[in-house]
Amino acid sequence: MLPNIARRSRTCLTSLASALLIIISVPSLMAQVMGELTGTVTDPAGTPVAFAFVTATNVETGRALPAATATDGSYRFSLPSGNYRIRFESRGYDMQEIPAANVTALSTVVENSVLAPVEQPQGNTTAEQAQKTAPSASNKPQEPSLEDLGISPSQAKGNAREQALLDRRSHMLKIHQRLGLITIAPLGATLITSAFAGGRETSRASRDAHAALGTATVGMYFTTAYFAIRAPKIPGTKTRGPIRLHKTLAWIHGPGMVLTPILGEMAFAQKSRGERVHGIASAHGPVAIVTAGAFGLAVVSVSFKF
Amino acid sequence: MLRKLLITFWLLSLPGLAWADSQWVLDQSTLTYHVSHPLHQFDGVSHVAKGKGICSNGECSFLIAVPVKSFDSGDSNRDLHMLQVTRGAEFPYVTVRTRLPESAATSATITLDLEVQFAGQTFEYKQVPFQRSVQGTETRITGTIPAKLTDFKIDPPTLLTMPIKNEIPVRVDLSWRPMQ
Repeated sequence: MLPNIARRSRTCLTSLASALLIIISVPSLMAQVMGELTGTVTDPAGTPVAFAFVTATNVETGRALPAATATDGSYRFSLPSGNYRIRFESRGYDMQEIPAANVTALSTVVENSVLAPVEQPQGNTTAEQAQKTAPSASNKPQEPSLEDLGISPSQAKGNAREQALLDRRSHMLKIHQRLGLITIAPLGATLITSAFAGGRETSRASRDAHAALGTATVGMYFTTAYFAIRAPKIPGTKTRGPIRLHKTLAWIHGPGMVLTPILGEMAFAQKSRGERVHGIASAHGPVAIVTAGAFGLAVVSVSFKF
Repeated sequence: MLRKLLITFWLLSLPGLAWADSQWVLDQSTLTYHVSHPLHQFDGVSHVAKGKGICSNGECSFLIAVPVKSFDSGDSNRDLHMLQVTRGAEFPYVTVRTRLPESAATSATITLDLEVQFAGQTFEYKQVPFQRSVQGTETRITGTIPAKLTDFKIDPPTLLTMPIKNEIPVRVDLSWRPMQ
């Protein structure tokens, strides 16, 4: 009997250690490797150009990220590693472009820009006059701008950090979803093998198999839960829709996944001593069924529209 | 007598002058995108679009902007996921620009060339038909923009490893009123 208990304990410990290893290694795997691109936009006299549009375009992917300079002419991007084409634009100045800036992880690249004023049209026309005459000369209607809609440059400006937060959240929840689906397999197998583990005529081998599958399920379950719990929360988001049921069910299957193995261990010990499962240990089966039911419903709640 | 005639002529010519350089403002709006997935379908709705139109020299130019995060599909988790895949934090607004001759603005059906900026990309939709109806002082424009995820280089989001369809038609219902 003792060697069997020792073997079972080893199996349990190995499974738990594996799950723990996965959980511990996750944060390092998830670390976002970003670099910084920063600089200042000035005119030839060295005066900062405020609210200039700065666009960093990844040369490989073509993805463009916008930003605007602050009142001191400074701008800052937090970017994934890569080559970026940087464009500087401001009203009254010629556009300037830096064809390639190499941003590497955990480093800061500084790219300053000096914008030259737009040359005056010939014939001693002032810039103000040129603006007034331009639409009628080209016969084009005046174009409404975002400012005309009451949207300020700061409101229209993108937030790379918030996007990185969203990316990280989605990435973690995708893993959560996949692991949750995978967990159904050992969970189902544990439920099936329970039929051969609890009766009077059951063998030690079938109980060992049931315990091993149960341990794997619990390990998978808590790894799955880790990705949901640690996924970044987006401030100001009110939970609506089926995800509310999904989260509520966690209050059932979460404690259930803690209780079930404890009760199972007690039942296992009683059976190993040749006793009939009694006392609180007899709740192992019902608690496991409620836990599995809540888990299954949680998966279904976000998979189908009712 | 001549003075009276001049005053009458001047008064009659005022509405024409106003029409020649008129402005329009978006009063009410409903923008609805439709998503199809093998397991279910859903709509995301926004009512907070802002818009303005400027007419001059016989041509009108319109701009509509709507915050990406204002679209509500009834599921906060899904909305955040849509916000992520459409790069909604980096590019907070979807903007639509269009131009049309002032004379075309009186037809019951108008076809427009739309320049849509979304998710950091610009895509032009040619000859999109819209219905126009007048209700009191308001002009209502309805139609559907045949948007696709690939037009804006958006990877289709997945549920249970199954991606949504590439087509995300956007139904547009806009009520414009002349600016005072």
